Amino acid sequence: MDQDLKIELGKQGVFVTTLEELYNWGRRSSIWPMQFGLACCAIEMIATTMARYDLARFGAEVFRPSPRQADLMIVSGTVTKKMAPQVVRLYNQMAEPRYVIAMGACAISGGPFKQGYNVLKGIDRYIPVDVHIPGCPPRPEALMQAFITLQKKIDEQHLTGEDRPRFLDEKAQGEFPVPEPAEHDLEPPSNPGVWSAPVVIR
Amino acid sequence: MLGEGILKGMAETAKNFAGSFVSADRLTTVQYPEQRIPTFENARVFPFLVYDGPDWAAGMRCVACQICEKECPPKCIYIEKSRDKKPDFVGKPQFYPARFDIDISVCMSCQICVEVCPFEAIKMDTEFELATDDRFRGLLLDRQQLAKSNEYYHQIHPTEAGEVDARLDAEKAAAAAKAKVAAQAAAKAAETAKTAPAKPAPPAGGED
Repeated sequence: MDQDLKIELGKQGVFVTTLEELYNWGRRSSIWPMQFGLACCAIEMIATTMARYDLARFGAEVFRPSPRQADLMIVSGTVTKKMAPQVVRLYNQMAEPRYVIAMGACAISGGPFKQGYNVLKGIDRYIPVDVHIPGCPPRPEALMQAFITLQKKIDEQHLTGEDRPRFLDEKAQGEFPVPEPAEHDLEPPSNPGVWSAPVVIR
Repeated sequence: MLGEGILKGMAETAKNFAGSFVSADRLTTVQYPEQRIPTFENARVFPFLVYDGPDWAAGMRCVACQICEKECPPKCIYIEKSRDKKPDFVGKPQFYPARFDIDISVCMSCQICVEVCPFEAIKMDTEFELATDDRFRGLLLDRQQLAKSNEYYHQIHPTEAGEVDARLDAEKAAAAAKAKVAAQAAAKAAETAKTAPAKPAPPAGGED
């Protein structure tokens, strides 16, 4: 339906919606994050939930201490290779629809520890990340802006067709393989279903 | 007494809750997308490249010396030096970066690139709303995205930008004075060179 016509009808007191919009509105307005932090970015995440910034204004009402009750995983901080299996396992335990925000340089790429031996070079190697927030650490406002970006992304999704969300796609990967510590590195080193090395065009 | 502490705490909470109906100071929440907390002058997020004048490519101060690339602790700067030269702010021909990328997914905002830059070309920005769902293209900023004007720099860090401008002006004046002295010396030399060949024209041994 035409957006202008809808606004015009709204002014006349007629509210028109579609099932898709209602569904997406419900999904985006009650994203409950999971309560876990990995490093210093978690301090900013905690600040975001406190009175001055108040993430609850966007529908992230409470931080759930159990992955079964959470919709959003905020990977806030350095993911060491020792911690990576646990992060993937927690993600597997979350119910669909589920979203991931990679917060801060370490969660996106390894950040300052990128050249090290013990830090995962980005959590997007194992689980699909919806929004990346650069920063070291990002401000609380940056986390809120990422949250708004995620809500916009959910709002734009169609429930049918090729670009439907993962949880409505029967063929999509549901359970993600949990990496295991091996002799030299985590095994497998990445999940080919969600991550492939980028082709650099120079 | 048992429970005294929690009563004190709850009294404080109740005071703030009731007080928020009469005093706006007790409402601490900042309604973020509409309201913002003003940033501090020394706030910093990611680096940007300063340029003078209206054209970013012509006025860029960076001379591709690659000191920041070498000093960057997480190695998030990639510079490719140009093959030709263009004049810098004092008119001296300098190299310029043919490619200048900063991977903000790695950058840790340590400001070391700013401290080591001898040309006042790289400074810290305060823009933080950079969340994106595009991992590789959204987080690798090229030189056009990094280039921001000196006016913008004055806007975000007025004191620091004033100091930088004063320093650059002094440098420019010194260079101009040096050029003037050099030009005078050159003119004098040219004059003596002009008169000197005139002198040997008459038969030798006349003067000494």
